[in-house]
Amino acid sequence: MKNSMVKWIVNFFKGPGKSGLDLGRRRVLAAGIVGLGGGLLFKANPLSGDRSYNSELIRPPGSMEEDEFLERCLRCGECMKVCPTNVIQPSMLEGGLEGLWSPVLKMDFGYCEYKCMMCTQVCPTEAIRKMNTLEEKQQVKMGLAYVDRNRCLPWAYARPCLVCQEHCPLPEKAIYLEEVTVTKANGGKVVVKRPYVNAELCIGCGICENKCPVSDQAAIRVTSVGETRHFKNQFLTADRFSG
Amino acid sequence: MAKIKTSSFVWVRRLSQAVFLLIFLYLFMLTVYHPGNETYGPLKLFFNFDPLAMLTVLLGGHAVAGAFLLSLITIVFTLVLGRWFCGWVCPFGTVHNMFIGIRIAKGKDKIKAGSYSVWQKSKYYILTLVLVCAFFGANLAGWLDPFSFLFRSLGLSVFPLVNAGFEGFFNWMYNVDPLKLSVITEPIFRILRRSFLDFSQPHYFWGMFFGVLFGVIIALNMFRARFWCRYICPLGGLLGIFGKNPTVRIKVDPEKCNGCSLCVIECQTGADPMGEGSWRPSECIFCWNCESVCPVNAITFDFKGQGGEKS
Repeated sequence: MKNSMVKWIVNFFKGPGKSGLDLGRRRVLAAGIVGLGGGLLFKANPLSGDRSYNSELIRPPGSMEEDEFLERCLRCGECMKVCPTNVIQPSMLEGGLEGLWSPVLKMDFGYCEYKCMMCTQVCPTEAIRKMNTLEEKQQVKMGLAYVDRNRCLPWAYARPCLVCQEHCPLPEKAIYLEEVTVTKANGGKVVVKRPYVNAELCIGCGICENKCPVSDQAAIRVTSVGETRHFKNQFLTADRFSG
Repeated sequence: MAKIKTSSFVWVRRLSQAVFLLIFLYLFMLTVYHPGNETYGPLKLFFNFDPLAMLTVLLGGHAVAGAFLLSLITIVFTLVLGRWFCGWVCPFGTVHNMFIGIRIAKGKDKIKAGSYSVWQKSKYYILTLVLVCAFFGANLAGWLDPFSFLFRSLGLSVFPLVNAGFEGFFNWMYNVDPLKLSVITEPIFRILRRSFLDFSQPHYFWGMFFGVLFGVIIALNMFRARFWCRYICPLGGLLGIFGKNPTVRIKVDPEKCNGCSLCVIECQTGADPMGEGSWRPSECIFCWNCESVCPVNAITFDFKGQGGEKS
């Protein structure tokens, strides 16, 4: 028995016989070099590492920091299939070529449902970290919303609107309103409530962008800044928020 | 020539394939939102048995979830017994298996199409590329991993297509209502929506592309049976390397063999089963077709403790 085990192992590593697996050292080396070159080129991509952050690269909640995410993600589409709002989409080149088909959030298709964390449950390689409680997921920031004051109805068109504030799922509301009297086109006065984003609270779920009545390009949009997974993709440090 | 009876091994293999494909599809259908955020069922099961997924993540220098220990079962099984996984378990392999009949080779060309080609080494080079690339920081395994490929194609293109088809049909029946048939179709629609169909039509970027790619990959079976498994699949390559010296080996009786080449024609992966010397364990997926088709019963598979001398 022992003898045959040894024989088997020797046979396994012995050079290729007629019926064996003869791949050719040079060709394997060539494939390896292409892999090496590809891997290093991807690493040299301007989007990789901490060099820059794509504002449109909004990953599902609990995603790993970008480099590790791409080393884990299989592009299997489980998170996209399971997402109830259809917000998770296979990416184009938001994350560079090596990130092709990896999941990104497209708020014009849906939004990250506050009470859902299905994508964190299904990811086979934990590129999206598995969450145990909903509270844990609700702490994760995917990005940050900003108001486009040139498009927002109360800011730009003197029309009352508070859709984004009403949809904000956070119990304390990450959007607060300021009551202002503004002049209408016919010279009359109207009281509108102008939205502001509370950057400390906003988790970037994107429901405000999804529900914004300015339908083609929402007047409130989410970008990736402030996302939990990158401690450098922040525009203000946490202690400077409160002031 | 008398009609050859399909071997019982082939039927067992088909049963195994059907079971695993149905499990895959069932888990696929379970991959939907559930209130309470629980997954009803082991949705990642196939990925957990996938050593390619595990290896690429490990090479990237990251810890894998404990469930990936299951892929060690695949590895050990393949090391000892050979590349059975592709022929008996892999749901994508089963999909290809179902489309083998679209081969276009006729007459003598069938032998050429069935036998080994040096181009089948390409999957090992793809595998090398993927593994090296994973080591240097970019995990490309998912683009070509069979479970990823199948799930992505089904989830992002086939399922939305089916969903749209059903919705279109039933909505048309409801709106046009020919022969008052909507009395029948509406309850069916309601049942389908509750069980099978999505409550809202899913839309995905790349959906069209994934659909076309899926179709093309399947259509390649026209040129070679299991084209994907022979030439492309990096997981197949990995299991081919692990399974290069299996203890289960082909046994061909040279006395009985009449050299008809039916075994080569029926071989799904170009493993050249017409002789013990020409047989390629790394390509063989143990589908048992050669044993089944042999008109003189010259081929058997044998359990050999110490493995073959020739490999």
